Amino acid sequence: MKITQQTSENTLTLTLDGELDASSSVLLDTELSQPDILNNKKVLIDCQRLNYISSAGLGVFISHLQRFQDAGVKLAFYNMQEKVHNVFEILGLDSLMTIVPSQAEAVAL
Amino acid sequence: MPQTQPLKSLALPLALVSWVALLLTTLLRANPTLLAIQLPVWLTLLAQGVFVGSVFLHQRYQPDPLRGTDFVGVLRRLVLGPGLLASICVGLHLLERLLQFQFGVADRTLFAIIYTLNLGLFVLFLAHTCYTWRSLVLFRASPSVHRQWEWFEVLLGSTLLLRLVNIQLPLLVAGIILGALGVFGGYLSSHQRWVAYLSRRQKWEVILLQLGVLLALGVFTIYFLRIRHDPQLVAPQPQHAFLLLTVFFAAFYALMGLLVTLFNLPTAGVFEQKREDIINMQRLTQQIQRGQSEEEIYASLFDAARQTVSAEAAWLRIDEVEGEPYSRRELVTEVQSQAIEGLLRDYNISGIEYLNNDLPSSSGFRALDLPFGSLLVLPLRSSKHTYGDLYLLRHTRQGFDRESLSMLQTFASQTILSIENLRLLQDSIQNERYKEELKIASSVQESLIPKTLPTDNWFEISSHALAAKEVGGDFYDFLHLPGKGLAILIGDVSGKGITAAFHMAQMKGIFHALMQENPLAKDDKERFPLPSKFMAMANRALVHCLERSSFITATLYIVEYESGGFVFARAGHCHTLYYHSLKEEVAFFRSAGLGLGIIRNETYDKYIKNQFYDYNPGDVMVIYTDGIVEARNAEQEEYGEERLRQMLEKTYYLQADEIKEAILEDLAEFSYGQPIHDDQTLLVIKFKTAQPATHP
Repeated sequence: MKITQQTSENTLTLTLDGELDASSSVLLDTELSQPDILNNKKVLIDCQRLNYISSAGLGVFISHLQRFQDAGVKLAFYNMQEKVHNVFEILGLDSLMTIVPSQAEAVAL
Repeated sequence: MPQTQPLKSLALPLALVSWVALLLTTLLRANPTLLAIQLPVWLTLLAQGVFVGSVFLHQRYQPDPLRGTDFVGVLRRLVLGPGLLASICVGLHLLERLLQFQFGVADRTLFAIIYTLNLGLFVLFLAHTCYTWRSLVLFRASPSVHRQWEWFEVLLGSTLLLRLVNIQLPLLVAGIILGALGVFGGYLSSHQRWVAYLSRRQKWEVILLQLGVLLALGVFTIYFLRIRHDPQLVAPQPQHAFLLLTVFFAAFYALMGLLVTLFNLPTAGVFEQKREDIINMQRLTQQIQRGQSEEEIYASLFDAARQTVSAEAAWLRIDEVEGEPYSRRELVTEVQSQAIEGLLRDYNISGIEYLNNDLPSSSGFRALDLPFGSLLVLPLRSSKHTYGDLYLLRHTRQGFDRESLSMLQTFASQTILSIENLRLLQDSIQNERYKEELKIASSVQESLIPKTLPTDNWFEISSHALAAKEVGGDFYDFLHLPGKGLAILIGDVSGKGITAAFHMAQMKGIFHALMQENPLAKDDKERFPLPSKFMAMANRALVHCLERSSFITATLYIVEYESGGFVFARAGHCHTLYYHSLKEEVAFFRSAGLGLGIIRNETYDKYIKNQFYDYNPGDVMVIYTDGIVEARNAEQEEYGEERLRQMLEKTYYLQADEIKEAILEDLAEFSYGQPIHDDQTLLVIKFKTAQPATHP
């Protein structure tokens, strides 16, 4: 798992590359736990290269969801692969989180 | 050596026979009138030679008198056994003199008998001494010394023959040969290695015993020297060269041993000290193997160290023994020890090895006004950990030497090794206990999964559950709802292991608590909660105990056989796979529904829905957890919903059991050789035509 971040105009973009399993979830959790992340208006997750997400990975997003909402930070996913989207959908997360097809749509939010 | 066997067994009878022959020939020579002919001298000499030779041979083949390192015992047996023969010799001589004096007769026969007896005793004593010395010379000796000894025996034996054949060598040559042999014997006498193994007390004993040997030798020698010129002596000179050499060797060895022992006396203390150290070391080592407590190991270090350096006062300070600081002190007050420790801290030398053999000359220590002259500080530490310090004190200056310091260092490292071993042992016991507890958890969880599946004539059910670890997060359960039908719950707790297992048990509790009949229900619909209601209540209950990043997915089905339908709510769990017998179609129920524990407020109710369906006989429902569809093959591809769907298309007409087996077989084939990384649960329910039997 490789996580790269990029900041531009109140927007933090995290690019996830690889499999988000129990061990790499810890890395992601550290990224999302940083206090100054809440200074952003939007946190976008680029899922183009995210091949797999385990329940631990989902747990990380779930645990930060409320915190982001409370701070008024929008969390959105884009470029999600079909099978990863399916995992979000089965768990019902697609109704809670913003998942858009492309980066343009994510930026326009 | 088979050829020595007859020699060995012959030696003793030969000695006896030859001694009797010697006695007879001597007697005959003393009384020449008894026999008409004069006996030749060589006959007596031959008897003498054979006797001496066979006694030595017999002694040679006796078992080694030395047992282990019991040198004192060997010498004691020599002195108190053969050594006492000397007193018999003296006694016989005195008796003879007394008889002669009393009766005024010089009886040649009596003289001859006593002479022959004494000669026999002397030879016996010499043989014993000679072979006792052999064991001592050869004690831990090199093979070359063994060979040298054999040569010495051969040369000694040849001097016997020399006399026998009665060759009169020129005095000079004989002197050279004898002198050379004497030097050889003297050289062999230098092998006194055994003396080093004696303690001080043993050395004193050995000196006395060797004096005893010398005394016995002296008595015999004086007797034979005196009698040599006695007019009554009719026997020819005994094996002069042989006896002389043997006596020389025996006496020289005893004398050398005596001197070596004597000179070694002052160093005996050092050897005893070393022995003491070794014993201490052994004791310390044994305590590891007995697996005693840390406290006992420290205590034995404390005692061993104090004894080794004869420290009058000492204290040991250990930072932690089972969570508590630990200390021991001996003849030093708390105030003194703290003052010294404080001083060392001030000098910035605490926690390192420190030796001060002249405390009064250092101003800091002088100021403390201690009754001690020397201080030694020994830190106890390994490369990773510091355990504490040992302080040893002596009243005298120059109380500690370098040697004892290195001994103490060995003690210290041995102690640390013991402590670390003990901790490792305790850790492994702890681990073993955890494993045991995990096994218990596993069997407890096993008992939470229903063993007997509900049976009835309107459905068939078959189940499979496999945990990836000892305990898992998958669960399923059934509950018979009286007068209504059957509740089936399947679920999966995120994560694996103990935490997941706890939540799973909790979920089971919630299931049994909430699916109770409501006695206040006004109509049939309210008797049991609808699945969506159940999920909402379960979500509320779980919020308090589920950590923020954990969630549970579940689906609850309530099958009502009277109406031939079922209702279910899916809380983020895998879609239900279904075979519709009327439509002859396999499809997933794709309904929305959020997992439990994701939203932690009342709004959850909005995210969960009920779905109703009327089943027909022949319909098949496949319920599973993600461990099935996410199982991977060698190419890291997932088994997937589609492959599962195709499997049901191929097998829907079979019995529930057979459908389950077919799916599992296909799954095993797909993921062959791959580890299971998630719990797998699979339930197959097949509805049948028959109506239920009447329930009580």
